[in-house]
Amino acid sequence: MTLRIIDRIGMGFFLGLPILWIVLFMLVPYGVLLTYSFWIKSYPLFEPAFQFGNYLTLLNEPQYLSVIGRTLKIAVIVSVTALVLAYPFAYFLVFRLKNATIRKVLFFGVIAPLWVSYLLRAYLWKTILGTQGVLNSTLMGLGIIGEPLDVFLYSQAAMVITLTYIFIPFMVMPIYAALEKIPRNLDEASADLGQSSWTTFWRVTVPLSLPGVVAGFTLTFCLCFGDFVAAFLVGGPDGLMVANVITSQFGAALDWPLGSALAVVMLVVVLAIISLSDRFEQRAKVQF
Amino acid sequence: MAAIIELDSISKHYGPVVGVNHVDLAVEDGEFLTLLGPSGCGKSTLLRMIGGFEVPTAGTIRIAGADVTAAPPQQRDVNMMFQDYALFPHMTVGKNITYGLERKGIKGTAARDKAEAALELVGLSGMFERHPHQLSGGQRQRVALARAVVREPKVILLDEPLSALDAKLREQMQVELKHMHEKLGITFLMVTHDQTEALVMSDRVVVMEAGEIAQDGTPEDLYERPATPYVANFIGTTNFLSARVVARGAGLVTLEAGNQKLKATDVMPLGGQAIGQIGIRPEKMQILKDTECRPANVLPGTVVETIYQGLALRTVVRISSGEEVLVDEMLRQGMLHSDHPRAGDPVALGVEPHNILLFGAER
Amino acid sequence: MAKTTPLKTILTTSLATAVALPAWAEGELSLLTWEGYADDSFIAAFEAETGCRVSATYVGSGEEIIAKMAAGGGVYDLITPASDITKLIIEAGFVEPIDISRIDEWENIYPQFRELDNIQMDGEYYAMPYTWGAIAFMYRDDAFETPPTSLAALFDPRNEGRIALWDDKSAIYVAARYNGDTNIYTLSDEQIAAAVETLIEQRPLVRRYWSTAGELVDLYVGGEVDISNTWAGYQSALIAAEGIEVTEFIPEENAEGWMDSWMIADGSADNACTYPFLNMQLSEQGQCGVANVNGYSVANPVAARNCMTEEQFVALHQDDPAYLDALLMWQPLGDRMGAYVNAWNSVKAQ
Repeated sequence: MTLRIIDRIGMGFFLGLPILWIVLFMLVPYGVLLTYSFWIKSYPLFEPAFQFGNYLTLLNEPQYLSVIGRTLKIAVIVSVTALVLAYPFAYFLVFRLKNATIRKVLFFGVIAPLWVSYLLRAYLWKTILGTQGVLNSTLMGLGIIGEPLDVFLYSQAAMVITLTYIFIPFMVMPIYAALEKIPRNLDEASADLGQSSWTTFWRVTVPLSLPGVVAGFTLTFCLCFGDFVAAFLVGGPDGLMVANVITSQFGAALDWPLGSALAVVMLVVVLAIISLSDRFEQRAKVQF
Repeated sequence: MAAIIELDSISKHYGPVVGVNHVDLAVEDGEFLTLLGPSGCGKSTLLRMIGGFEVPTAGTIRIAGADVTAAPPQQRDVNMMFQDYALFPHMTVGKNITYGLERKGIKGTAARDKAEAALELVGLSGMFERHPHQLSGGQRQRVALARAVVREPKVILLDEPLSALDAKLREQMQVELKHMHEKLGITFLMVTHDQTEALVMSDRVVVMEAGEIAQDGTPEDLYERPATPYVANFIGTTNFLSARVVARGAGLVTLEAGNQKLKATDVMPLGGQAIGQIGIRPEKMQILKDTECRPANVLPGTVVETIYQGLALRTVVRISSGEEVLVDEMLRQGMLHSDHPRAGDPVALGVEPHNILLFGAER
Repeated sequence: MAKTTPLKTILTTSLATAVALPAWAEGELSLLTWEGYADDSFIAAFEAETGCRVSATYVGSGEEIIAKMAAGGGVYDLITPASDITKLIIEAGFVEPIDISRIDEWENIYPQFRELDNIQMDGEYYAMPYTWGAIAFMYRDDAFETPPTSLAALFDPRNEGRIALWDDKSAIYVAARYNGDTNIYTLSDEQIAAAVETLIEQRPLVRRYWSTAGELVDLYVGGEVDISNTWAGYQSALIAAEGIEVTEFIPEENAEGWMDSWMIADGSADNACTYPFLNMQLSEQGQCGVANVNGYSVANPVAARNCMTEEQFVALHQDDPAYLDALLMWQPLGDRMGAYVNAWNSVKAQ
């Protein structure tokens, strides 16, 4: 009897503490954010209210839609670039590389940067991409360009390069996992049935790895969508992202209600994408 | 009959490891040939080389007379039934089957008709729209067969086709596959490590040992006249006794084995070595009753234990040389377990000369 | 502590025991300030003399100070906002009045600062002026044959890709002055719209909107830009230290000026270390200390006279009240601040 009580208390702690943590540090803040988004800016700070003025501002002032549009655009470009780079790489590792050690080394080579601070890595790209940076010096040394190009740094291109580099592990990992799950002999079966490796790739490998692609795309997309460091470090005058505007509303503009409304919109966009991708993933999922 | 597959001194090396060593083999058109052996004996590698999934280090492979040694699987008129079937999980049963027809230029309703026909052949009519994960193991196996059959290949390669099934189903499928082979008239080349499977299904069995062919023959050949202790041991159970030739003549050889003089039908062991040991199948010996007339050879001994097996009774007997042998007796009607000798009872074992297998010395 | 209600006492006390113990313990001071304002070079002596332990949290912008205070700045004793947001901080109730009778050198502070409306409310002072400077402009010596003297250089297509501008509402001030609007702290909606227009036109010429001091230094050192605005005295010294020659200038259209002051966070007046610390900061020790570290001009010219070399005294314009008077000192924008910030955001959002 006592044992059962102790057991129940133990279980209560085991389940209760994490749930409490999540409620306190995740759900409550979301609630606070949502509440703030209905408040009203009033000098010097803001006042509680229930009105949709902040959301209307987001709709009516073109700057917010244009920033959201730009952020979506960059997130899509980065995700597509990362996919185009990550898929062949993961495919090569899983299907073509015979040596397991080299495979592991290459895989961890791509994943390893995750252990290095994001900020540090983004910062590194500044030295690489700068006017007097490694990239320009190399290109000039090779005689490919005569004058240093400034498009590599402080531009949307620089943001795409940096974000792609930073988030590509999140694309590689799920795709790698999905490809690894595909039984090796399906390739052989397809060849045995007379199909070329190109057909096999598109008809067998790609459909079966689709859940990994969707997961990787979603992860990369959402991480990009919420990023503000790339704009801050390597973005140009046209590099403002949604997260930077939110930062500005909570900081410089001291308009927490508007910032909250923008954050809520962002949250809704991300949640919509996640649920969409979840639905897609469910459909693409196959039982082996 | 003409050879549909000819292997000419095929070898496969993995670095310093020799997987297959100078194998010569001809598969006759229409036969059911099985490559039998324990894992690592090279049988699967041989099958994969025929399928085009691996390239031999040396030697030539001909299918229907054409050299395909270096040809990819797509260019070979053979189809493989993979060990775990390798059905495409994201395609329906029907798509799985028509997939292999595309490159043959068969599409649309023609492909569908062919696929339906193949499904009917394997007893899966109406399963066209199902997905593989909705099928039982046995059904998947049949789909895999239908997928191979529908392409009308010259040879169907079967890689341990029944290993994923449970014992009961496996027995049933053995017979079914054999019937299917008879019905189709296509050459079947199967790989298995299961001797029963090999004996039940095949026209011819090739026993492999360490990358080489140990013996090639009909199931009966292999069972009744195993060429080596390896084959005798791999197919069925055999009691081995070391032996020494005492005298020869008139088609009989007199041996000293198990502390007794034994007479055996004189045949040369494979490879022509001098006789060093003999083998006797447990069911080819009997425990003599006083009433019975004495056979040519008698081995006296003591019962160590008896093991009841339902269909048969196995008796472990220590003969006078100290070696232990197994004796299997069918429990026929009216025979009672309790009538048999018990542990400690002295017994005499009888064996006929033609039931003694002669082998070279132990390696 | 007259306005402290019992509930508030309970709340702050329990909070203090829960998270903010160091700030309340006898002899500890927690600062929310700029890098350099609590530099070891002059703080160490103070700590040794008074037994007060000073710990500082550094911020990158004044808005960060507001944000931290608005989020419940309970752990901080002293903050150092610039003169454009002191008024807001006072009105938001984040700070307590300063008893100027306990500030020994109060009378030595530039009268221009003491008279500022944005550090007072209801006849009480809430901020102790500390440092000041100009948002000057700066160019790379080797990039210009004729040294620029006007803001026009920042809008000149010939300088395309070589211009950096501070990523701050200050950009609106710059554009407004370029447009001829000198009332930069009381711009009308039309004037702001015109400034936005000007900045959007300028944007293709801009290499980078810089946000931190170190970043602007990197831009010059990395050869990315030739001309920009700057926090006078600070970044130019760092760039010179990297061997790159730059010159600061006040353009014809004039420059903004800023003044940082110390403010006492609500509830920290009782901290025994507060007034000793403020007095130290306004003394020669603190004034020359910060001038040496950051290169800013200081609020107490009497102390500066005593502890600076003649050269430094002149270089920091401590001898020249007219320089200070000419600067367009930052003014509180009040409820117009959102309009400025959003206007600046809309430029970047284009």
